[in-house]
Amino acid sequence: MILSDLLHRPVLDDSGDTLGVASDARFAVTDDDSGRPAEVRLVGLIVSRRHSGSFAGYERTGVDAPWPIARFLRWRHRGSFLVRWEDIAEVSRDSVRLRSGFVRHPSSLASDDDGA
Amino acid sequence: MMRRTKQQRMPTRRRLIDASLSLLDRQVLDIDDVPVQVVTDIELSEVALDHPIPVGSPAPTVTALLSGPVLATRIFGGRPPTHRLHRIDWAHVAEIGIALSLSVRGSSLDVTWVERWLSGHVVGRIPGGHDDPE
Repeated sequence: MILSDLLHRPVLDDSGDTLGVASDARFAVTDDDSGRPAEVRLVGLIVSRRHSGSFAGYERTGVDAPWPIARFLRWRHRGSFLVRWEDIAEVSRDSVRLRSGFVRHPSSLASDDDGA
Repeated sequence: MMRRTKQQRMPTRRRLIDASLSLLDRQVLDIDDVPVQVVTDIELSEVALDHPIPVGSPAPTVTALLSGPVLATRIFGGRPPTHRLHRIDWAHVAEIGIALSLSVRGSSLDVTWVERWLSGHVVGRIPGGHDDPE
C-alpha cells in the first residue's frame, strides 16, 4: 500500500455517513541509538471535515505567525480530528471506514517532539 | 535555517510527524549531500485493500520512499503505475530534517539510473562533457 491509497479519501463512519476527508497521515518516528529514524509507524489519519488541502505547517500549535494566515488556515480546517489506526475498520479503493465507537482525538501537533 | 548535525541530535526518542509536513515533497540528499530525488509518495507495509482490518492489527510502517511522475495524478486523481515509481528502502534513510538524508550514495540507487544513463550516453559524448563543472 502507498500513502496515496489513504490520503484524500472520504472517511466514513460505521453506518456509511461521510465524516470528512483524510487530509494527512500522522506517524510516530522512533530513533535508534545512533539517532537514525529506525521505525516510522502510522498513528492515524487527520480527518478534515471540509477541505483536504494542506495545513501548511499550522498544525503545530506553536506556529501562529503571520497571524492572518494562521487564523485563516485554522478556521479552514476547523473541526478536524485525528482518528487512530485502531479505529480504522477498512481501507477500500474509494474510502476509509471507521469502527463503531471510534474516538476523535485533537488533530494538532502539540509539539514536534511529543511522544506517540 | 541550519541543519541539525548528528552531534546535536537528541538521544533515542519517539516523536510525531505529519506526512504532508515532514515527508512528502521533501528533497532527498545522499550521504554526500547531493540531491537524489523528491519524495512523491511513501510505501507502507502491506494492508489489504477492500478487506476488513482485524482488531488489534499492528499499524503499518513506512518501508520506502517513492519518487515518480505524479503531476497528472495529483491534478486528475488516481495513482501512477507501480512500475513508474522508484523506491528507496527506508533502511537507507539516516535523518529526517529539512531534507531527508540518506546513508548511501545516490549513484548506488535505481532512482538515479536515468541521470546516469544520460551522463554516459549523451552528456559524456559531447566534447567537454567529462569536464568537472566550474
